Amino acid sequence: MQFGIFTVGDVTTDPTTGRTPTERERIKAMVAIALKAEEVGLDVFATGEHHNPPFVPSSPTTMLGYVAARTENLILSTSTTLITTNDPVKIAEDFAMLQHLADGRVDLMTGRGNTGPVYPWFGKDIRRGIDLAIENYALLRRLWHEDVVDWEGKFRTPLQGFTATPRPLDGVAPFVWHGSIRSPEIAEQAAYYGDGFFHNNIFWPAEHTKRMVDLYRARYAHYGHGTPEQAIVGLGGQAFMRKNSQDAVREFRPYFDNAPVYGHGPSLEDFTEQTPLTVGSPQQVIERTLAFRETVGDYQRQLFLMDHAGLPLKTVLEQLDLLGEEVVPVLREEFAKGRPADVPDAPTHRSLLAAKEAHEKQDKHEKQESAV
Amino acid sequence: MKLVVVSAGLSVPSSTRLLADRLAAAVADRTPVDIEVIELRDLAVEIAHQFTSGFPGKALAAAQDAVTGADGLIVVTPVFSASYSGLFKSFFDVLDKDALTGKPVLIAATGGTARHSLVLDHALRPLFSYLRAVVVPTGVYAASEDWGAEGLPERIERAAQELAALLPKTEHRKEPGVVPFAEQLAALRAS
Repeated sequence: MQFGIFTVGDVTTDPTTGRTPTERERIKAMVAIALKAEEVGLDVFATGEHHNPPFVPSSPTTMLGYVAARTENLILSTSTTLITTNDPVKIAEDFAMLQHLADGRVDLMTGRGNTGPVYPWFGKDIRRGIDLAIENYALLRRLWHEDVVDWEGKFRTPLQGFTATPRPLDGVAPFVWHGSIRSPEIAEQAAYYGDGFFHNNIFWPAEHTKRMVDLYRARYAHYGHGTPEQAIVGLGGQAFMRKNSQDAVREFRPYFDNAPVYGHGPSLEDFTEQTPLTVGSPQQVIERTLAFRETVGDYQRQLFLMDHAGLPLKTVLEQLDLLGEEVVPVLREEFAKGRPADVPDAPTHRSLLAAKEAHEKQDKHEKQESAV
Repeated sequence: MKLVVVSAGLSVPSSTRLLADRLAAAVADRTPVDIEVIELRDLAVEIAHQFTSGFPGKALAAAQDAVTGADGLIVVTPVFSASYSGLFKSFFDVLDKDALTGKPVLIAATGGTARHSLVLDHALRPLFSYLRAVVVPTGVYAASEDWGAEGLPERIERAAQELAALLPKTEHRKEPGVVPFAEQLAALRAS
């Protein structure tokens, strides 16, 4: 099982000091957080993509390329890559380029984006969001899997004899997760292709997450990719920890009460009860996260949002120390217990390459057999 | 058959709730129904929270499920500032936009004066038309003076008769399905 962090990339005022980081400070902080993730033994760092203030990460592969150069093991991903408003040709090229630079430590999560004006800014219509996600992703796959593509669709100029360069590393396309919170069409899309499905449950009650994941699992099996239990599922989560849970609540409350995404609504107590947000001791975060398995079954990827609500970098790095040293090692051990042997790990470049080579060997063998 | 009554009355006792109960009883006289009453007053805080948090609290989620699963609806609001109350509108603002599609709905309102009776046709009816509900022709408006005058019982009976006639004869609960991916893809290519 993979553990990691994902960041939205918001520039948020620290409510306890009234200080707002500059864009440069926030971008550098995101990089520092990514490097810390590797240092404390996490598997994945994923960045959001946004095209409006107060968010900074408009160019994820630029940032991930920089992080790739300064890390050895970390898998670089997105949360999410906008499959609706980005040109699929540019996505194909950017992520193939990143694969080569990062020696394959790359995957991505596609999402539609929920900021209305971003669509017209990029010449698209939000009412066609699902259609854009379906058509653009169908093209993206072909650009990675076929060397020369002839293509005609609704939303983009046709392509004749087009080759996206560079070709994917070792002829293996990056693994794709489809992120969606409430659209069954996207769970269906992920299932159809046998891709991963990531439910960003951080603002949602468990019953809702279960409905979406159950649908994806059933359809994954329907399309013949394996049993429902073998489908590739990822979940979000968010936490604030101190050794002593009362200290965590006391320190986080002013952030929660004033954060644009949390504040001025349900109380911290109600919110932590109804969503995965856990404010307390590392042990509480462990227990809460382990319970996700009871909701969705054995799953493959757990990403935590840790740099939320305007927390200063120093605090976030302390949080990552706790996550990497006290929480994740226990989660690895506990999630491994009772996990059926036929539940796969999340695909990586290495595992996809091995599968491809095994497949090619098999083909070659069969051809020789039939020649004899 | 499940009949859900949404009442946006605020006081206890409330004339809005009184009208809601009269309407529900008149429908029950004509056809066997299980009646569930949702008092929006009890959900006011959760409704406000859903605007900021994006998800419903437990009681509100149960109310939304009840409305979505109902075979027919009776909705009653007091008139505030020449329209439905903000709480009444807010409940439907946070409801899934497809929840009422094709659902028979009886609209009703209460007010201090009969001068607001057209609120049924300039505010409630367009709201439920937008939500693709099937609104019965007779809406029922009760001003304070109507509770001591002739005419209200007849209007209640007529509206109840219209709603009862629209309730499905047999229960058929539609499960939210999924459109097979090949169909989604083909639809894009064909059009």
